[in-house]
Amino acid sequence: MIEAQDLRFAWPTTWGRGKPADCIAIDRLTIAAGRTVFLHGPSGGGKSTLLGLLAGVLLPRTGSISLLGTRWSDLSGARRDAFRADHLGYIFQQFNLLPYLSVLDNVLLPCRFSALRRERATQDGGSPGAAACDLLRRVGLAEELWARPAAQLSVGQQQRVAAARALIGRPEVVIADEPTSALDAALRDSFMDLLLDACRASGSTLVFVSHDERLAARFDERLSLSAINRPASSETAEGMS
Amino acid sequence: MLSRSWLKWSTVWALSLGIAVGVGAGTAGAVTTSASQPIGGTGVSKPTANGVFREIKWDDLVPKDWDPMKEFKSINFSLMNDSDPRANEMLKRMRETWDNAPTNNDMEGASVRIPGYLVPLEDTKAGLKEFLLVPYFGACIHSPPPPANQIIYVKADKPPKGFHSMDTVWVSGTLKTLRSDSYMGASGYRMDAVVVEPYIEPK
Amino acid sequence: MRALLTLAWCSAWNRRATLSLVLLSVALSTFLLLGFEQVRTDVRENFSQSVSGTDLVVGARTGSVQLMLYSVFRVGSATNNIRMSSVEAIAKHRAVAWVVPLSLGDSHKGYAVLGTTAEYFNRFLYGDREPLVFAQGRAFDDGIEGLYGAVLGAEVADALGYRLGSKLMLTHGAGGLPGAEHADKPFTVVGILKRTGTPVDRTVHISLQSMEAIHIDWVGGAPMRGVSIAPEQARKFDLTPKVVTAALVGLKGRAAVFNVQRFVADYAEEPLMAVLPGVALDELWDVVGVGEKALIGMSAMVGVVSLAGLVAVVMAGLNERRRELAVLRAVGAAPRHVLMLLAGEGLLVTLLGALLGMLATGLFIVLAAPWAQAHFGINLKLSVPSQAQWGLFAAVVAAGAVASLIPAWRAYRLSLADGLSPRV
Repeated sequence: MIEAQDLRFAWPTTWGRGKPADCIAIDRLTIAAGRTVFLHGPSGGGKSTLLGLLAGVLLPRTGSISLLGTRWSDLSGARRDAFRADHLGYIFQQFNLLPYLSVLDNVLLPCRFSALRRERATQDGGSPGAAACDLLRRVGLAEELWARPAAQLSVGQQQRVAAARALIGRPEVVIADEPTSALDAALRDSFMDLLLDACRASGSTLVFVSHDERLAARFDERLSLSAINRPASSETAEGMS
Repeated sequence: MLSRSWLKWSTVWALSLGIAVGVGAGTAGAVTTSASQPIGGTGVSKPTANGVFREIKWDDLVPKDWDPMKEFKSINFSLMNDSDPRANEMLKRMRETWDNAPTNNDMEGASVRIPGYLVPLEDTKAGLKEFLLVPYFGACIHSPPPPANQIIYVKADKPPKGFHSMDTVWVSGTLKTLRSDSYMGASGYRMDAVVVEPYIEPK
Repeated sequence: MRALLTLAWCSAWNRRATLSLVLLSVALSTFLLLGFEQVRTDVRENFSQSVSGTDLVVGARTGSVQLMLYSVFRVGSATNNIRMSSVEAIAKHRAVAWVVPLSLGDSHKGYAVLGTTAEYFNRFLYGDREPLVFAQGRAFDDGIEGLYGAVLGAEVADALGYRLGSKLMLTHGAGGLPGAEHADKPFTVVGILKRTGTPVDRTVHISLQSMEAIHIDWVGGAPMRGVSIAPEQARKFDLTPKVVTAALVGLKGRAAVFNVQRFVADYAEEPLMAVLPGVALDELWDVVGVGEKALIGMSAMVGVVSLAGLVAVVMAGLNERRRELAVLRAVGAAPRHVLMLLAGEGLLVTLLGALLGMLATGLFIVLAAPWAQAHFGINLKLSVPSQAQWGLFAAVVAAGAVASLIPAWRAYRLSLADGLSPRV
């Protein structure tokens, strides 16, 4: 499903001060379809950068990273956005929703940008709206909240809506960037449960990134960013390898 | 779909800008010249829906055999003193001859196109219904008024809008000579104009 | 496309507190542009409709614009009078069909008084050769029979509540002091004219003989002390007018206008001038045109300022919206969608503001029309926006569309750089 090979990425330096240092240097990374993967990484260790590369928002300096067999660098900018819309669901740590749209409209957003997901949602529920309602029920959001503007919900409720949005139309991959870090323990557990259940139910691959090791137990696979990533700073420290 | 709507959006933007610019340019009006000399023509006929309008010059409105200076050719002005009352008397008679200038009967019913300066007479809500066409600028005060056969009293079928006193225009229509011996001794010209358009200096 | 537009609408509505101020300023600038254009066209139309079918206006030698202003539009005052004998000489010119003398100077409760012949009501045309029509009564008679008879314009009758048979007293000059009234010689209303939408509505018409009669015991603008001539006694005097203010001239053939004009200009007995109403009006517009351009320029400046405000407001809010843009990117929006979204918001605000301004113009016309009619005699008409007004409207919207591209472009660059992790 996801394959990275000789992946190298560096943030461009300001004032062109010499060659920028690679912050992502991964020789090989493979994630099979349908797996739930826990990616552990300390804050500031390049997690967000790697996620940006996985989602095709950032392009590698050298090497390749591909999703569903298609290399991100092979696609033009517009195609990348369309590809992302069709095959990827994304959950942020917080502020996942557009505050001026209702809960239901927020869940339906991916269907507006991707015909493929809209079709799949229609297959699932008869119409995209019905599929959205199903998902909201599955994440346990009370029905009276569905028409409310998203800004009126609590953080825990917003994260659950974000999960529903990431899953509508059954995208092949769901990436979650520390979605529980803003939740307290009780909410965290229930959120984890529903997310894993929903991903397994739709057969999506889940890449769950967090610094909290305690959550790793429920996942199929466990990866450590510091293990697979050899950023330039560590290279110079150990000598070129 | 949104990805294809990029084209639609760009079209909407371009259209709205284009419309705004187009309307602005259209209401700005056409370019006119303000020559203070008589306007000439190119002698080219212009076809219109009603047929061909023959382009004429102001000279064509004067009968070939009319010579206002006929009487005065024999007089030797160099023999007169300064401020000679006879000279003023002759000037007065010459003016009267001009006032009584005859029309060129060949022009009766002709479909013509002629350039001139516009003097508004009846400006209504619908447009400029009646105006005079004269051969030179400032035919009001600074120079003697044109003789009768150099003024055309024009009535427009479709009254034009936006014309100003002393604007230069092309007028196309059917000429008529006024057969009345009432007020001006001889007659003048009338035209039912089909087209009135601004005059643009030929390059 | 509809989806983006809906998003743009929801987003703008969410921030309606700040955007509404911008919207109001766009509305104001549109109102200024459209309203000014309306007033300008209506005033021009009013003036050019005021007289029709008159070939020349003859008066003392002043400026052509000034002559038109005081003789036809009742604005300003004459510099000099002209002798009746000159008017008669002009009437004798072989090209002249008719002459109507006009005598101005007196007033009644702020409305101008015009002394003229009964022929005026047949010869004076307005608009598109429309004649004056009597709503009630008839014209006064010339000569002694018509003494002290007055014909009122529609506005005078309506505003002051006069009917046939009402009595009124005229005032010398335009003043309101009691001593200037011709109190001893009251007039009777014998006719009321139908509304014309021209200065005729705001005029009281009397015969030339009546004008002479009320001034018969006056000298130098004030009544002679100790001398008072009763109205009936005035008839015994010679009431033929010696001087008038101006005269309307109609010709047998319109092409003769230059000859008669030259005749009047060269008239040796008295310094006179004759103007063509159409030409004089064009000269008036030339003078006024400078002021008009200045006002349009200022309104355009207001428009620019309001759009600059729009750009500033949207730009200022961009930083807070970076997370929102990241969410959109995550859901599958491209940076160009972000650009279209922002530009769409700006366009929506401008469009709504311009529409509001257009409505405000209509409202203004409805409210201001009676006041303008009463005080200036100007007809403001509520109608479908003219082509020029639509052009101005389109220009405002187009300018807003272009201006919105500035914050939209910035958002585009931000979204491109931020990707999914905005550094806020």
